[in-house]
Amino acid sequence: MKVQCELCPKECLIEPGQSGECRVRINLDGVLRTVVYGYPCSINIDPVEKKPLYHFLPGSSILSIATVGCNLHCKNCQNWEISQANPEDGNVAAYFCPPEKLISLAKTNRCSSLAYTYTDPVIYYEYTYDTSKLAKENRVRNVLVTAGYINEQPWKQLLQYIDAANIDLKGITEDFYRDVCSATLKPVQQALVLAKACGVHVEVTNLVIPTLNDDPEDIRQLVRWVKVNMGGETPLHFSGFFPRYKMRNLPPTSLKTLETAREIAISEGMDYVYVGNLQSKEGSNTYCPGCKSLLIERSGYTILKNRLGSGYCPNCGKEIYGVWR
Amino acid sequence: MTRRKFIRRLIGAGSTIVVGASWLITKASPRRFLRAVRLKKYPGPLRPLGDISKPSKWSG
Repeated sequence: MKVQCELCPKECLIEPGQSGECRVRINLDGVLRTVVYGYPCSINIDPVEKKPLYHFLPGSSILSIATVGCNLHCKNCQNWEISQANPEDGNVAAYFCPPEKLISLAKTNRCSSLAYTYTDPVIYYEYTYDTSKLAKENRVRNVLVTAGYINEQPWKQLLQYIDAANIDLKGITEDFYRDVCSATLKPVQQALVLAKACGVHVEVTNLVIPTLNDDPEDIRQLVRWVKVNMGGETPLHFSGFFPRYKMRNLPPTSLKTLETAREIAISEGMDYVYVGNLQSKEGSNTYCPGCKSLLIERSGYTILKNRLGSGYCPNCGKEIYGVWR
Repeated sequence: MTRRKFIRRLIGAGSTIVVGASWLITKASPRRFLRAVRLKKYPGPLRPLGDISKPSKWSG
């Protein structure tokens, strides 16, 4: 008997013995099964800035995990070796690591939070859900790094345990999502708005790809959408693209393009706009939107100076959006 | 054929069609799942956990 997975908007209709588009949710004897629960292919301790999260416990270490598989198939995927892998192909080995062991690893390595990242936590939903629930009980915070391609009901259920999320807004047109990511824009926008409405600390990332979504008017439209629907205080990251996977024909994004995107966002009234994947002095730092004084100085993922102990600007007293302790 | 016989046959054929169609619909319509059940055995290769202290090579 066929099964239908209702986790993400693709709603795959899966034949017996087959998997959905994500490659890790399969139909076995008429029952939908997840093959990656408890089997991450990557476990590492990263700086939280790498996610990127610049307004969430800056300078802290975060235990970061991923399983193979993804519900999107972005032609430019930077992690395609794991995101587009089939577990049974044998190219990527996994670790046995049930939720309890992850919490114990986070605690013994003094990580204040756990990140579900690298591929997309949506596809290992049950593992993410159970681990984040257990983490919450053990005072370990939960971070999602996701494309936000998920249906409303499971998203709401998961968000109750999530402290912060970096959600990609990969483009602002349906054409871009269809042609580059094999997905659609609307569900991502709904996921972004819902996450913020549920009280999750949200930062947004836009990967700027030359000729595909780097038109200043597209960027302006994307920024306006973020400002209107999520607020000007939402940290926005413009990341540089590198030729990978099925998109090796385009050049890497120039620093100038990223800095132009940042200028557009600031001119549209966004308070915190960053440049990622390339070294940008001003685009790495956090400035007070009130008095413009430097609050956090960064070099790559390293914090050089942090004047923001309490979450307020020490110069003018303005409250800075984020989770600071 | 008497009218009574004809009506009996008509009812018989009608109910066969209804039962058959409902069986087909049940068979053809998929079972819907929001949550997947955990599969105990991983279908790919496994390895022991090594040094996790260094940042990952993966983006994100």
